Amino acid sequence: MNRPITMPALSDTMNDGRLVRWLRKVGDPIRKGDALAEVETDKALMDVEAFHDGVLTGPLAPENAQVPVGSVIGYVADDAAQTPGAGRASAAPAAAATAAAPAAAAATAAAAAATAKTPPPAGATAPAGSVRASPYARRLAQQLGVDLTKLDSGQAAVHADAILDAAHRTSKSDLDAGPPYRIAPLSSIRASVARTVIRSLATPVFRVAAELPIGPLKSAAGQAKVSFTLMLARAAALAVKDNPLLNAAYTPEGLALRERVDVGIAIDTPGGLIAAVLRDVGARSLAQLAADWHGLRERVDSRRLKPEDYRGATFYLSNLGTFPVVHSFDAVLPPGAAAILCVGAAEGERAVFTLGCDHRVLAGADAARFLQSFARQLAEPGTLAGGTP
Amino acid sequence: MSQELLYWQALNRAMDVEMAADEAVFTLGEDVGLYGGSYRVTEGLHAKYGEWRVRDTPISENSFTGLGVGAALVGMRPVVEIMTINFLPLALDSIINGAAKIPFMSGGQFRMPLVVRMPGGVARQLGAQHAQRLEHTLMNVPGLRIAVPSTPQDAYWQLRQAIASDEPIILLEHELLYFSKGPVDLLADPPPMHRAALRRAGRDLTIVTYSRHALLSQDAAAELAKEGIEAEVIDLRSLKPIDWDTCASSIEKSHRLLVVEEDCRFAGAGAEIASALAERCFYSLDAPVRRLAGLDIPTPFNGTLEAATIPQVSDIVVAARALCQSGQESKAS
Repeated sequence: MNRPITMPALSDTMNDGRLVRWLRKVGDPIRKGDALAEVETDKALMDVEAFHDGVLTGPLAPENAQVPVGSVIGYVADDAAQTPGAGRASAAPAAAATAAAPAAAAATAAAAAATAKTPPPAGATAPAGSVRASPYARRLAQQLGVDLTKLDSGQAAVHADAILDAAHRTSKSDLDAGPPYRIAPLSSIRASVARTVIRSLATPVFRVAAELPIGPLKSAAGQAKVSFTLMLARAAALAVKDNPLLNAAYTPEGLALRERVDVGIAIDTPGGLIAAVLRDVGARSLAQLAADWHGLRERVDSRRLKPEDYRGATFYLSNLGTFPVVHSFDAVLPPGAAAILCVGAAEGERAVFTLGCDHRVLAGADAARFLQSFARQLAEPGTLAGGTP
Repeated sequence: MSQELLYWQALNRAMDVEMAADEAVFTLGEDVGLYGGSYRVTEGLHAKYGEWRVRDTPISENSFTGLGVGAALVGMRPVVEIMTINFLPLALDSIINGAAKIPFMSGGQFRMPLVVRMPGGVARQLGAQHAQRLEHTLMNVPGLRIAVPSTPQDAYWQLRQAIASDEPIILLEHELLYFSKGPVDLLADPPPMHRAALRRAGRDLTIVTYSRHALLSQDAAAELAKEGIEAEVIDLRSLKPIDWDTCASSIEKSHRLLVVEEDCRFAGAGAEIASALAERCFYSLDAPVRRLAGLDIPTPFNGTLEAATIPQVSDIVVAARALCQSGQESKAS
């Protein structure tokens, strides 16, 4: 009979190991206790030992692959006649590296039971072959060491996004070291924010802050009967128009230059953070913008936001000024924009504005010039209310 | 130094330049002479070069295309105009059994410097027998080369390159492109005749297309950009051979492929494009390759129904959006 050789759990924090190399080849006679392969755990190089006498049989998991604990990496046959995989070692399917045998699921379940954790979802016991994943997702999963069988993407098929998310998220072993926990499924908003901020990791950001008077803008907002945040967006958009580079976005082909200033405004909701996009904030009248803003807030509250309501901003605004304890802060700059303006709470008649900038697009002096323009708008808000035709 | 020309004017300039440069170049076809060509491509050439080199023919496609094949065999450089691709079936024997085979079967003793030009595609309410796309028929004939210019500049370059070539070349023009305008630099060096053109750069999906639908796809890409989807648009310019390298390097970046064609979907040009790129780029694809094509029916005369049988800009936008959203739906609803 063929007995499976599985990836051993060589430390209690080990979820998977890298199969460095096979020390024996298919067809080799082996004895119990022989070292068969070298595995790199999260701490050290260790040997995989044979538990039975017999003959090493394929298909063998490929060398240099990340393999989940418990996955079958090869077989020991009783004698050479039972080695159908002999000579097929090199033809072992690449998917084998991510194939979690039922043993993997059993191990997971046992661990979960031992620590009174939530049992793994039923889907986790499905063998890798039954996971619908795009070819690119499979390739990425192999390169990044993500176990496809443990992904519950909630979709018809696993796509690259889900693999990248999984590769970046908190590893289970970090959690297992702490107190018992339960998993609350991500709201769609949190999932989307998580994807966005992960994508923004590659953006080199610097920050420039300025403390500016906001009294005139506050009274102008009161006179015009519009929200202070909307007035801030308006002032920022006019300052962006004076400094068009703030409205650009970096692409590998070059800077994407946009005429229209569409401001993404961070909104705090029970389900998470949303950046609703107000279109053409630099050119439309304040009345039109106020109507749009009202509509956006309604759709946020009723959770009826459409993709066009939150995609495609050219500039971002985040106002935490409603929390009096916040002096100043900086925010993650979402992809697709060159800058985000963060507004702290007013202290007296002044507030601290922090501009986070994509350094591929902007330099410190660009940020300073923008803040100067913005300061002028704040000082003379009379021009804001009327709007340009 | 470029000037604005209509597509037919660009073809006309190319004919004029080549005829002036080489006495072996001549053209023949129905109404190419006195009338100046159904789409004006040979306008003025009859007066300038005379009836010997700009020859009106009877309505006999296989015969005058065969005449072209024979003339090419003895060293002339004929440019045969078939009035529309809908009459191509009558000329297929000369093209398939003659032009495409003789250089091969003679062991290279004969060259075939023949150009066969014809307009095709769905125009405006010309009926099922005058709204065909037959590129798939010609793509399956070894020995031919097929160029499909979508811009006046490409029309100018590719007709000149076709005339200069010693191989049999089919130039598929589109009936709705003859009066489209674009910049033409008469002196610029052309890219190789079969090189695909990157019409728009993007990161989210690759649209591979050709002829008039290269223009529609660019319009669609502009629409998509407004909602944050950046489509890369590749205009193939040539259907035989196809510049796979340009397509593949784009897919390796975008991981999604949409093939847009006016040809009928079943065994159409897009079927070859999609399958060849799926084979080549399998491990880079994050979603199944998607084809957007003409319906598999004879084209209706009714204008509304006619428009519904071929992809429109809005159809391309919808298909591209759907392709990009596979993999981005959120986990919790």
